[in-house]
Amino acid sequence: MNKKLSFQNIILNLQSYWADCGCALLQPYDTEIGAGTFHPATVLRVLGPEPIWKAAYLQPCRRPTDGRYGENPNRLQHYYQFQVIIQPSPNDIQNLYLSSLNAIGLNTKDHDIRFVEDDWESPSLGASGLGWEVWCDGMEITQFTYFQQVGGIEVKPVASEITYGLERLAMFIQKVENVYDLDWDGVEKNQGGKTYGDIFLQSEKEFSAYNFERSDSSILLKHFVDAEYECNSLLSDNQNLLPLPAYDQCMKASHIFNLLDARGMISVSERQAYILRVRQMARSCCLAWMEK
Amino acid sequence: MENYKRLTGDLLVEFFSEEIPARMQFQSGVHLEESFKKAFDKKDIRFGEIEIFTGPRHLAIIIKQLDLKQQDQIIEKRGPRFDANEKALNGFLNSNDICLIDTEIKDTKNGKFHFYIKKIKGLETKKIIPEIIHEIIYGFVWSKSQRWGGTELRWARPLRNILLLLNDKVVEGDLELGNSEVIKFTNYTYGHRHYDKKIKIDYISDYQKILLQNYVILNREDRKHKISNDLKILLTKNKLSLMDDPILLEEVTGLVEFPNVMLGSISDEFMSLPPEVLSTAMKVHQKYFSTTDSKNNLAPNFIFVANSLSDTKRDATVVEGNERVLKARLSDANFFWKSDLSKTFEYWNDKLKNVVFYEGLGSVYDKTLRMSEISKYIAKVFNVNSSFASQAALLSKADLASEMVGEFPELQGVMGGYYSKLIGYNNEVSNALTEHYKPKGVLDSIPKTNIGGMLSIIDKIDTLTCFFVIGKKPTGSKDPLALRRSALGIVQIMIGFNINITMYELFSNSLNLHNNVSKALKIELMDFILDRLRIILKAEGIKLDVIESILTLSIIHNLPFQIIYKRITALNETRNTENFKLFLVNFKRLNNILKSSDVLSFSNFDININLFQSPIETKLFQAINDLKKVIKISEFELNNQEVFLKAIKELQIPINLFFESIIVNVENKEIKDNRLKLMFRLKELIIKYSNFDIIED
Repeated sequence: MNKKLSFQNIILNLQSYWADCGCALLQPYDTEIGAGTFHPATVLRVLGPEPIWKAAYLQPCRRPTDGRYGENPNRLQHYYQFQVIIQPSPNDIQNLYLSSLNAIGLNTKDHDIRFVEDDWESPSLGASGLGWEVWCDGMEITQFTYFQQVGGIEVKPVASEITYGLERLAMFIQKVENVYDLDWDGVEKNQGGKTYGDIFLQSEKEFSAYNFERSDSSILLKHFVDAEYECNSLLSDNQNLLPLPAYDQCMKASHIFNLLDARGMISVSERQAYILRVRQMARSCCLAWMEK
Repeated sequence: MENYKRLTGDLLVEFFSEEIPARMQFQSGVHLEESFKKAFDKKDIRFGEIEIFTGPRHLAIIIKQLDLKQQDQIIEKRGPRFDANEKALNGFLNSNDICLIDTEIKDTKNGKFHFYIKKIKGLETKKIIPEIIHEIIYGFVWSKSQRWGGTELRWARPLRNILLLLNDKVVEGDLELGNSEVIKFTNYTYGHRHYDKKIKIDYISDYQKILLQNYVILNREDRKHKISNDLKILLTKNKLSLMDDPILLEEVTGLVEFPNVMLGSISDEFMSLPPEVLSTAMKVHQKYFSTTDSKNNLAPNFIFVANSLSDTKRDATVVEGNERVLKARLSDANFFWKSDLSKTFEYWNDKLKNVVFYEGLGSVYDKTLRMSEISKYIAKVFNVNSSFASQAALLSKADLASEMVGEFPELQGVMGGYYSKLIGYNNEVSNALTEHYKPKGVLDSIPKTNIGGMLSIIDKIDTLTCFFVIGKKPTGSKDPLALRRSALGIVQIMIGFNINITMYELFSNSLNLHNNVSKALKIELMDFILDRLRIILKAEGIKLDVIESILTLSIIHNLPFQIIYKRITALNETRNTENFKLFLVNFKRLNNILKSSDVLSFSNFDININLFQSPIETKLFQAINDLKKVIKISEFELNNQEVFLKAIKELQIPINLFFESIIVNVENKEIKDNRLKLMFRLKELIIKYSNFDIIED
């Protein structure tokens, strides 16, 4: 049996597989976002201008409320997604996806692969799609979505989005039960090889403390308002729209909202109002992008 | 008309798509059958038996003995009268694009008319099918559907192939998807997802067999049957029993093309978690069946259904993988369990202060305060210690803020029960928390303990009162807040616990918690409960007229519940007896005479015994007095309802005697009115039990 693929090799193989399929390889977006979908290469690009858009990229994601101080073997407040977005969705997209599993050492014939209904919705992006979570021997390894709407706007033609949860996938491939035990680089320990824990455990501890205990809510609340203000002002002049910088502010606002949520600063009744504010920003950015 | 031999053939249509959600499959089969029947009926194409196949990717229909040709149609169009002027006649000819020789004159009962008799030759079925397919696909109703690629068409998931054979030959044509994309009709389909093999279908009669050879069991029932069978074998082999779950079975049937039933183990470390947590985590996230051992305890084994044929090496990998996933899931559950155990009910209740119950109805915590108020009266009714009752009410919703219920909403109540027990609250209180969401529907059982029944009913009383007050009472078939189910739960519990209070008493405390509730609204609320009682009684086979005769009583909201129930069942038992039938005839006669009289306009109803002309009148008068006495001791006395009814039935003798020997309509108005009063008084007493005039003979 071959040596199990390292975390970084899984990324490399996915990149080269999708590059071979004609996708433009992009890099992670350089601001904190909650999911690969938030990347402008997905949210804005599926709305145009080109009718054909194929891209693949790695994206670190932040979910402040999922922090567990490094004590839970499965939950992280910072993790990686590998995102593939292809528009229009090709007829053989499911098979393309299944072959990608073979490229990372998961021979689909040796496993039980299932496409189980899981419709996707992002209230703060005004986005929704239909699709599945893909199960491999009962483990959800991918989210597969046909984008129907973004920013409340119909996506035409429809784009297919494939999102691999890399930690889970790697745990499955490497057969480890604790995310921190994942082999990151394939190098032996005594040669300086690193595990996921070597790289991220400290970060998980510190950020969990920050997210739950130490973040300054009054500053965050101010940041939210500032981001919202900036976003709106960049979209205020119809002759001089700046949807991309405006969308940066929308992503920031969304992350700040998540931080406030982790701090327990948002009551249920306020929650909806915040989500609506982010959605309004996202929608304005999308409309401005289409305008351009 | 049928002077030619009917030529028929079999039709196979298969819509092959990406995986359709399990919950939609069965219904889509039903809809498909109806759509085809309707479409062929409309086109005058006859057909025989129909077979439907539904699965993750194959949705198919076989129609046997389909006419190969549409029936000829004759359309008769009536024109102007035979002697109409030329202008009218030309108008008729032009509008139908015909000449005079195309028409004929026919006699009708209104005279002679020009007729245009159009004969339309039936088209070949295969020429019509593409149009029918288009119509069916574009008119198909999915609970949720999507576009894909550049299509305008919506389907549950992308439609990839249409296999279409009539008499084993491909029907020529295609389906437009929009934006110049089409799916051509083909004579092939695909086998099991693992092998992804394109398979040609030469004969419709081989369709199922060939798919089976390619590891797709097309027939839903066959698939389900295989799962059940394999389950049984596995259970017997391992000395286990199944926690029966027909809904899960149906769902799993929709997730596999070729079921492979396997057994996995649960790590020991998790077996100390509450069994409900284990089975819920397994079912909700993983679609696993739970098993129990010979002592009916949850066993450390689960059963799942993979989508593959059996293969020793692969099966081992798949089982191992599923066990690992479950371990991760249960580690999460364990984390929630431990984290919740470090919290208190006060902590959770504090959180609930920020959770809105419903706009305009305060927080969930406010709801528990209202429930505690309501418990003050209802606890007595259920014979429950009032401080336990109030405590149960105040703690009842706390677990909604726990992490476990956040993850598994279906464990609400159950977790409250566990946590409160471990913290050391009184056992009765814990039981109440566990049970208070029961009954979850007409088929669910009601709580077992008095305090559980009490908590369940006050929760529902509060919910109903609140939503009625803010104007959210259900209308028509819409009941998004499931208020009918709440009301049904109240009735089920009142019946099950023999609760004998009036509708007014039921809602008195809860209505006092709201300001300015109109009388009309109160009545609507009370009637809403009685509506559910009506439905339960009807389901028990009691005729509506009997039910209505009691429920229409003007004092119904002040009549204790068990008395209502008892009166209806007693009346139902007696309605077909001879005695009762005789009584009913006499009562209706009495009632009819009163109705056609002017008795209602009388200024008083005092009976003057000095005006009696016969001992028979005296006898009826005596009967009135006797009945009064019976009513006094039985109208509101649950155990005397049968006595009350018996007394009424026995009145048939004096009433009958009265009618046989006394003429009401006599000349002397005083005597006549006195007799009417006598009858009226008697009737007023009789209908204290029930509005007997509603009961059909």
